[in-house]
Amino acid sequence: MKNILLLIAISISIATQAQVTRVYFQASGLTCSMCSNAIYKALKTLDFVDKIDADVRNYTFELTFKPNSSVDFDKIKRKVEDAGFSVSSFHASVYFDNIQLKENQPVKIGTNTLLFVNQKSEALNGEKNIRLLDKGFVPSKEYKSNNFSKSQTGEGTYHVTL
Amino acid sequence: MKFLVTIIIAFLSLATKSQELFSVTEPASNRAARSIGIRVDNSIMNEVRTSKINYHLIPEVMAGVSKTFMVSAGVFFSNRSGACRHEGGSVYAKYRFLSNDVVQKHFRMASFARISYNSSDVHQEEINMYGHNTGVEFGTVATQLLRKVALSSSVSVLKASDNGNNNKFVYGLDNAKAINFTFSIGKLMLPKEYSGYRQTNLNLMVEFLSQVNTGSGRYYMDIAPSAQMIFNSQARLDVGYRKQLSSTLIRTAPNGFFVRLEYNFFNAL
Repeated sequence: MKNILLLIAISISIATQAQVTRVYFQASGLTCSMCSNAIYKALKTLDFVDKIDADVRNYTFELTFKPNSSVDFDKIKRKVEDAGFSVSSFHASVYFDNIQLKENQPVKIGTNTLLFVNQKSEALNGEKNIRLLDKGFVPSKEYKSNNFSKSQTGEGTYHVTL
Repeated sequence: MKFLVTIIIAFLSLATKSQELFSVTEPASNRAARSIGIRVDNSIMNEVRTSKINYHLIPEVMAGVSKTFMVSAGVFFSNRSGACRHEGGSVYAKYRFLSNDVVQKHFRMASFARISYNSSDVHQEEINMYGHNTGVEFGTVATQLLRKVALSSSVSVLKASDNGNNNKFVYGLDNAKAINFTFSIGKLMLPKEYSGYRQTNLNLMVEFLSQVNTGSGRYYMDIAPSAQMIFNSQARLDVGYRKQLSSTLIRTAPNGFFVRLEYNFFNAL
């Protein structure tokens, strides 16, 4: 039932001109530069990634994307996990073109659907920073405490907060 | 004993960050998926009671199959019969079944297994699946990476069979099984602060390696301090010395130097 409701919700979600311009994440479980390099090399294989700025000191990575490419958050996360590590925080800069955000109404950006958590109705305009809250994008403790319904998180659908 | 405690305390209190790419043992962490590594392991050990050098050369290829599973295969060469000769090889696999990651920290556990074939004569009571005996080894390793230090410990069971070329395991079937215990501690000494992948890293480590034969109850206990350099976040050179601290087992050449070279190719598979 929840799935059906979600499908309906997604089908009536706001189709937007919004665009992911930048992703910024921190990796966890490592302290060595060879480990960080393994993540960097893995990220380089993603075809939609244009530039990777790796901060070896803070284990953070900033990604910018090729024009008109479809940014896949799950693929980015999987590359970090394949290198042997985890994502401890994951932020994306999204450019919103005057979107009216309504409670419990998903927002579609390209192939991604964003479910804003605990969000009041407001207008989104310009570049906004969102944080992903799903499994693998936050520490496992935080994910467990969020207690999202599993059926709500399919590929391409993300719980986010501003 | 006091000496050991002093080493450990000195080590724990030094410098800034840690390292867990140990020289002798494997950590619970795995290789990156789809990466290939080439390793050349050299040990130059002094034979007890003679002036002979026991040289063992083990070239190895390692592959990260997935984020949790890796395999490697190595070929054994040694100068046991005079010239440096091919003596067999081994296949190793490791599966990481637990991973608890936090920024700059993790706790991980993995299971591993090794199958070895060796055609040289069996010349020592110690059972060693890395260049001496034919047989199997399986075990578990746990690794704790903390901001300042990396600690790793493993327990494994070894079962030796007769070596190839009709070289029998001469110490009796009852003494063909042993348990290995290891404890490793490693630390990143340089650079003081990371600024890029091209910086050369210097790691220092101390490893304790022990074996107890389940038949005879005889044992050995070794210490292996080593220095490791990582170049370009891709190549690795380990130089260390293995020293027997105490032993009741018959061993041919327990003390000596080892040099290990490793190069990683990311996204190779």
